[in-house]
Amino acid sequence: MRRPPLVVVFVAILVIAFGELGGAVLSQLRPATTRWAAARIAANPQVHGLTGSPEYDDTVREQTVFATEAGLSFFHTHAEGTGLVLFFAATLVASVVRPRALRGVLYALLTVGALFPLGYLFYAFAVLQLGRETGIEIAETWVLTPLGASAIVGLIGLAVVLARREPAAAPGGR
Amino acid sequence: MAPIDTWRLPPRGVLLAAVLLLVVAEVGGASMSRYKLELARWARTGMLAHPDVHGLVGVRDVDERTLDEALFRFDAGLRLFHMHAEGMALVVIASTTVVTTLARSTLPRRALIFLLTVGGVGYPLGYLIWSALIPAYGVERSKAIAEWLVWIPFGGATILGLLWLAGLTAALLARR
Repeated sequence: MRRPPLVVVFVAILVIAFGELGGAVLSQLRPATTRWAAARIAANPQVHGLTGSPEYDDTVREQTVFATEAGLSFFHTHAEGTGLVLFFAATLVASVVRPRALRGVLYALLTVGALFPLGYLFYAFAVLQLGRETGIEIAETWVLTPLGASAIVGLIGLAVVLARREPAAAPGGR
Repeated sequence: MAPIDTWRLPPRGVLLAAVLLLVVAEVGGASMSRYKLELARWARTGMLAHPDVHGLVGVRDVDERTLDEALFRFDAGLRLFHMHAEGMALVVIASTTVVTTLARSTLPRRALIFLLTVGGVGYPLGYLIWSALIPAYGVERSKAIAEWLVWIPFGGATILGLLWLAGLTAALLARR
């Protein structure tokens, strides 16, 4: 199997490494993360629609902290997955896609797509800064959808190339 | 000298360890499903044998809630083992392939392969240990044991290996 360009390999390894690191940080610093998220919510009462009513505010705070933790958790799980997807898919691109320009386009799409988990980091911070609904909407529309779409288009492109590719000649010319 | 443009396979022992981890993950997932009741019964019996550890007070309504919570964690540990073992086996294969292909010096190559293989194969076992210890030691104490015995050393080895490998790849990129 052929090796994809170093920059693609670098991004794949970096994304997996950050995924691992994110999991470790999330596990070790969960109470601190929860406290920090609650403090950020308290610092932006208008954005989160806090009313001063303890029961209502507690519910809003719990939902927002949950969304932040979910974003960090999704970052961990997706980064491990998309790093591997980039590694194996780019290896297939390097090995089976002959036209150089097409190879370049597929590398670019898959590499950008591997950054998809960063959308969940953005998601985790956006819900704290912009409020739960607005933060999720912005993260989904402007970060997660474009990055995810890039990965999907890249994988479809690779599938099309594989479907159209003529089988290699058998050893010995038969 | 430019880096070679085809992948080199990691040592056979590394591939074997990764494949065995995949097998264990698959068998673990299947067993969790097939023996769900038996596993839950075993864990429950273990918890009832250690009432002090789980804070059981002898009042059925209170104790059932405590047991359900501990059983939920027991099941979560098994599921996390299944998922992490599948993922880490692939991480071991991918990362050691990159190391074998790109790391030219023998010592860093061996050190990286060791860190990534031992860390990657060992880490998921922590979830299995966590689950197995819950009946006798309780949720939090068994978590602390798994953390210090497995997750921190093996997870740390993997993180160190991956960051080192990312640095090595970046250095090769910068040199071109």
